[in-house]
Amino acid sequence: MKTRDPIGILLKAWMAIIIFFLFVPIFVVIVYSFNDGRILFIWEGFSTFWYGAVFDNHRILSTLDTSVRAALLNVAISVVLGTLAGVAMARHQGVWDKPFTLLLGLVLVTPELVSAIGQVIWFNKIGLDNGLVRLAIGHSLFNTALVAIIVKARAEGISDTLEEAAGDLGAPPWRAYVQITLPLMMPAIIAGALLAFTYSFDNVIVSLFVQRPGSSSLPVYILSSFKAGLRGDVAAVVVMALALTLVMAVIAAILLRKGAQSKTET
Amino acid sequence: MSRLNATSRKWLPLLPAAAWWAVFLLAALVSIMVFSFGLKAPLSSVDPVTFEVLSLENYREALSPVYVQVFWITLKTAGIGTFFCLLFAFPVAYLLSTRISRNWRPWLLFIIIFPYWVSFLLRTFAWRIILAPEGMLSEALQAMGLITGGLAILDTQLAVQLGIIYNYLPVAILPIFVALERIDPALRQASSDLGATKITTFVQVTLPLATPGLIGAGILTFILAAGDYVVPAILGGARGLMIGRLIALQILEAQNLPLGAAMAMILIVALLVIGVLFALLQIVARRLNRMAQGAAI
Repeated sequence: MKTRDPIGILLKAWMAIIIFFLFVPIFVVIVYSFNDGRILFIWEGFSTFWYGAVFDNHRILSTLDTSVRAALLNVAISVVLGTLAGVAMARHQGVWDKPFTLLLGLVLVTPELVSAIGQVIWFNKIGLDNGLVRLAIGHSLFNTALVAIIVKARAEGISDTLEEAAGDLGAPPWRAYVQITLPLMMPAIIAGALLAFTYSFDNVIVSLFVQRPGSSSLPVYILSSFKAGLRGDVAAVVVMALALTLVMAVIAAILLRKGAQSKTET
Repeated sequence: MSRLNATSRKWLPLLPAAAWWAVFLLAALVSIMVFSFGLKAPLSSVDPVTFEVLSLENYREALSPVYVQVFWITLKTAGIGTFFCLLFAFPVAYLLSTRISRNWRPWLLFIIIFPYWVSFLLRTFAWRIILAPEGMLSEALQAMGLITGGLAILDTQLAVQLGIIYNYLPVAILPIFVALERIDPALRQASSDLGATKITTFVQVTLPLATPGLIGAGILTFILAAGDYVVPAILGGARGLMIGRLIALQILEAQNLPLGAAMAMILIVALLVIGVLFALLQIVARRLNRMAQGAAI
């Protein structure tokens, strides 16, 4: 059936403009990562020089190393705490559910800047000096809430009869959890882990405040080199990270779709 | 399994996350409050802050005209940014929820969220190329005769404004989309069956039902925008200021934690007041909705 829908055409044109608006800076970054010039944003010609130069820049390599380690530690914390909480929130509507939801809401709406200031004061106060741990904890506060929400959404879509059956058949609770609940939650856990990793990997504000000398993350390095003049290697490493995250995002999308399908099957 | 055991297991899995947040986030927020009443210690002392006299001095300084003006600029920039985010986001969310088939929706949503997977910093830097006085946009506008001389918005509040809208637009689209998707298409159908024009249906059915989503998106965008540090730092130059930059300056460079903490407290209070106002708006909107639905029935 084909009807004339001038409003629909207008809306589609608008969406195209918005998507263009959202993507233009990404194209600019990708194009300029192939800039031959010494200064990133002054175009002098095409070259892949900076892609090789990334591996000669020790600051990039060491901050990248810090970023990846902090992101992984943050994922480990967020996934464990967030999965436990997410399943419990979906399964049991106890007295503690409301206050907990409130606390989770607080975590989500606290401006990052405010949270970061509090953390730098508090971490210094309690003498938490390990830069890597400070970054990981700082990032995990938000990501625990993120994982909890994603896991909760999946747990709500799957009835708990399988877990109960395992219990009826004599499995101790921890065994039912490990062998039944966790596998069922796996798509949500993986999606949550990927999002938590990306959040941490790209985080500027918390990292800027809680970092210690010698444990800067990559975004903090990029921000600090902005003042001295950005070079092409920064764009090259970001484009490489983009290629990597694209692969991860596709994996996440496929897993979420699988999750949605198995949800409708049960 | 005993009953007691079952009830105790209910809250046990919530405990680790709750404890984690209590120890690291709630304590951090409390320490902002405590520090805001301290004073910057002399350079010779070990502790950065003294609490010998609890003082309101930081608040007095944070509320001095210079800072108040920056607070005002921040709220204005965040407010205008939120308005445009909602304005730009609504048609997109409306299109997705009414005219795009369910198979296509996840992919389009994925495309809209996709920029978040690319370094926030470099995307913001990229605007410096696009907006540069001798850049592509500037030359295109000059060729069209819309401006004379180079484009001069880099390192001004306007550039910050644009960066804010750019960065938080996807955040605004999602909640509005969720609200619109929940509206039963039968309601719109019923409205047009009863003889309402498309515009009447939109104004009297769709818009009121979408208002809670719009307000939710507004609150989210506003909080994120008001606390932003990166956009003003990169696009604002010396003239584009937001309070996030001043707070960061006090804490990271001037080492004046108490003043930074007091400024953060004022930001929190301002956001809380605005949040409560919006929440009240939302309650009113829900009431009106119910009344409208009641009247329709």
